[in-house]
Amino acid sequence: MKRRSCWWLASMVLAVAAILAGGIAAGAAEEIVLGAAVSQTGNYAREGKFYVDAYQITIDAINRAGGVKVGGKAYKLALKLYDDQSDPNLSVRLYTRLVTSDRVNFLLGPYSSGITIPASAVAEKNEIPMVQGGGASGKIFDRGYKYIFGTLPKAEFYLQAAVEVAVKLNPPVKTAALLYSNEAFDRSVGEGTRQWLKEHKIEKVYDEEYQPATQDFTSILAVIKSKNPDLILMAGHEQGCLNFIRQAQAADVNPKMWVFTVGPPTADFRKTLGKAAEHVYGITPWLEEMEIGGEIFRSAGEFGKQFHERFGYEADYHVASGAADVLIYKFAIEKANSLDPKKVRDAIASLDVETMYGRVKFEPTGQIAMGQVLIQVQDGKVVPIYVGGKFVAKPVYPMPKWSQRK
Amino acid sequence: MNARRWVPLLAGLAVLVLLAAAPGIFSAFMIQFLINLFMMTILAESWNIIGGFTGYTSFGNAAFFGIGAYTTGVLVTRAGLPFAAALPAGGALAMLFGVAVGVPVLRLKGQYFAIATLGIGETMREVVYNLEVTGAGTGLVMPISRSPLSFFYLMLAILAGATLVNWWLSASRFGYGLIAIREDEDAAGAMGINAPLYKTIAFALSGTFAGLAGGVFAYWITFIDPDAVFKMSTTVQMIIMAVFGGSGTVLGPLLGAFLLSSVSEVLATQLATLAELFYGVIIVLVVLFMPKGLFDLIRRREFSFKYFARNLRENRI
Amino acid sequence: MLVLQVLVNGILLGGLYGIMAIGMSLIYGVLRIVNIAHGALIMLGAYITFWTFTLWGWDPFLSLPVTILLLFAVGYLVQRCILNLIVRAALYLTLLITFGIEVVMVNLARIAWTSDLRQTAPAYVAANFSVGGLTIPYVRLWVFATTVVLSVLFLLLMERTRLGRAIRATAQELRAARLTGIPVGQIFAVTFGLGAALAGAAGAMWGVLFPITPILGRALTLKSFVVAVLGGLGTMMGAIVGGLVLGLAEAFTATFIGPTYPNAISFGLLVLILIVRPTGVLGRGEGR
Repeated sequence: MKRRSCWWLASMVLAVAAILAGGIAAGAAEEIVLGAAVSQTGNYAREGKFYVDAYQITIDAINRAGGVKVGGKAYKLALKLYDDQSDPNLSVRLYTRLVTSDRVNFLLGPYSSGITIPASAVAEKNEIPMVQGGGASGKIFDRGYKYIFGTLPKAEFYLQAAVEVAVKLNPPVKTAALLYSNEAFDRSVGEGTRQWLKEHKIEKVYDEEYQPATQDFTSILAVIKSKNPDLILMAGHEQGCLNFIRQAQAADVNPKMWVFTVGPPTADFRKTLGKAAEHVYGITPWLEEMEIGGEIFRSAGEFGKQFHERFGYEADYHVASGAADVLIYKFAIEKANSLDPKKVRDAIASLDVETMYGRVKFEPTGQIAMGQVLIQVQDGKVVPIYVGGKFVAKPVYPMPKWSQRK
Repeated sequence: MNARRWVPLLAGLAVLVLLAAAPGIFSAFMIQFLINLFMMTILAESWNIIGGFTGYTSFGNAAFFGIGAYTTGVLVTRAGLPFAAALPAGGALAMLFGVAVGVPVLRLKGQYFAIATLGIGETMREVVYNLEVTGAGTGLVMPISRSPLSFFYLMLAILAGATLVNWWLSASRFGYGLIAIREDEDAAGAMGINAPLYKTIAFALSGTFAGLAGGVFAYWITFIDPDAVFKMSTTVQMIIMAVFGGSGTVLGPLLGAFLLSSVSEVLATQLATLAELFYGVIIVLVVLFMPKGLFDLIRRREFSFKYFARNLRENRI
Repeated sequence: MLVLQVLVNGILLGGLYGIMAIGMSLIYGVLRIVNIAHGALIMLGAYITFWTFTLWGWDPFLSLPVTILLLFAVGYLVQRCILNLIVRAALYLTLLITFGIEVVMVNLARIAWTSDLRQTAPAYVAANFSVGGLTIPYVRLWVFATTVVLSVLFLLLMERTRLGRAIRATAQELRAARLTGIPVGQIFAVTFGLGAALAGAAGAMWGVLFPITPILGRALTLKSFVVAVLGGLGTMMGAIVGGLVLGLAEAFTATFIGPTYPNAISFGLLVLILIVRPTGVLGRGEGR
């Protein structure tokens, strides 16, 4: 009896140890492996999918076009992907695993600044480049890290165009409400927006933060309604903005103009809201109609078409940003003609190339320098309104009240 | 004191020496895994002090973990303190919190105590979410440390401490006092045991170790935010590890943490949702069929259907 | 005016909170089980209503009886097949097992329906009316009305029917109930079923107001705790009172202190109540 249970215990322990030992993998020889942990489940699952699909389509396109050439040899790109479940803690552990156990060559990013901030620390700690397209907060880039690069424009500038436009409209916007989520990206947007409001002398009648997990905006809406602002600026992720708009309709809140940092350019958002999405303003650094292009994907339109064909939904700037990240590695590795992390890092930092996402050139902090387009949803379509300081279309302003819409 | 009492201690020392040599043998990935394993074991052992020995099911031990993490984090990033000073401060604050909160809350009966501690855990998270000094929703980013080995030894040291305390509890008058409180608090009081004092000390001890683990965690993982360190699932993991191994014993939490951590590590990266599902099923099966834990199974030296059936019958309606 | 709007908002939502928590109070009162899987049951109710609406066009309010019946069945089975087996176990074990059940339910939901956001959105979901400067969405009013109806029906069930009496007897004195021939195992299963049914109804309505995901229930379990404890764990009227108190507290805190504070306040309230008066506002004494 004694021996039996002893053996039993011993064999359990051995089995576990064996499983662990097996968990140490090695990468294939002729491949360059890009590793990433992206939110495939949880709060950011919607946006996370954009990146997963973007990485995949770009890697396939590059491989079809001959792969990445280093030292005369052609390497294929491969993707090692994990699900971080929208949890920054898990993300850190997965990136650590990617670096120490899976030994990937380079890293792609997660979605959301809140997750990118800690994940990038892992990359920096291990001196492996991470090119990410999902985190826009300046906080990612003001730590003096050398190995982190981002293809989303700075969060603090997201709503600058909207505020600029607001004072140029007729009648000009005089009062504004600012609402932002208690999360890295949105707080950064909030910080920047306060500055733009002050610069353009718009009176801020409401300035509050909300918990990211908030479902119920009725109290917030009740207060905003009582202040009756001309403009509502909301910094949140897709789910929050969606909820807010729906509940604003139910509470009959009628600003003249409202802008959301995430959502309006994305087809999924517009489809879910239906008519309620009309006249909503949003920001995007990329549109399929733009006349930009480069290697692999000759134009934004071509990229958008291929993406739609393969995945069944329209690409938006998240997708384009993710795709650009993979392209950046191809260009940088070929420029450095090496797989050494430090040499590739230097190549990325000095890159200046045209792509279907736009011109890729990084500031010394590692963040891309790129402008944004203010768009408005008109008849269910995304219409660019204001680019590079100029109006390119007429916005529907002021927004018709809910009771007057049909 | 007879020699037999010292055998487990010496065995433990031997294991400790072996583990200390680990960095020379294992890969970087294994080191990371071991650091995480040590941390979960510390947490399971810390819960064991208040939940296993004293019988007070705390559902908010993650609060101590979070307090330790944030105290260390805030002191390092805002006050510029070196880690060597911030870590003990984190443990100390967690201990004080345990005393401050323990005095009112330990007066409550079983379920109410559990819910109260759950509430405390959640309240702490919300408070931290709202304070600027803790970075609110953005969290705290710690300075990068490039020596994973120091974390390894630190966690190992704390683990040794926690195990030692657990061992001491199993063999000392104070520990027996706690067990007496668990079995029948009124009778224990009648026998002259100062239950409120004992309980508070146990709670504070529990909190100290969880807090220290939290402090190291913050620096190791380089980033903390309220959701990461005040997670209810951390508390539940602690509890299930202690229970799976055998709550109220010394080896129980060690066994439980080792086995469950390993399995979870392997599964979590392969199929996340299925892994969690598996985890949930394990919990239900363990509670139904082996509520006394693995250790009891081993100690009774019987691994047969009869054992499981007996457990089932004991607790049913 | 703002105060009045906030008051109304708080009451309307508070009714829903109350229904959410009645089930938890009931289960605790009779079975002495703290049901961590409560939120998962709410989540199931939300999904059932969503699918009947999306696939067959059933109005969420009209499909309530179906949701209630289905959740009753789920609860009954869970109690009969699993929980009845550990009813006499130590507290931490019952807590753990309900946690395990929650994890299983949530992950089955994830596998079956993915984590995509859903919402039951009938055509009238944004319709509202104004009275005296207040704007009241129709759905919120109907949700409140439904919770009132359900509460009354439930209280009638508990006070006026044989089943209700049997349940209350079992809650008060288990041994005596057994001796008088009440099939305790059966009663336990029915009770859990009832609790689940109410949770399901709450979920059905929640899904009309807010988005639905598999982890919808986690925060709601905590909210139900706060409500149930506030009113007094084990008392039904208490849950309703607690729900209204929480609804109002949240609305006023969010409006006048800041939107990020309601949770901190409600959990702080939970701890405070437990320390000062664990039996809650309406409970009988048995806390210490």
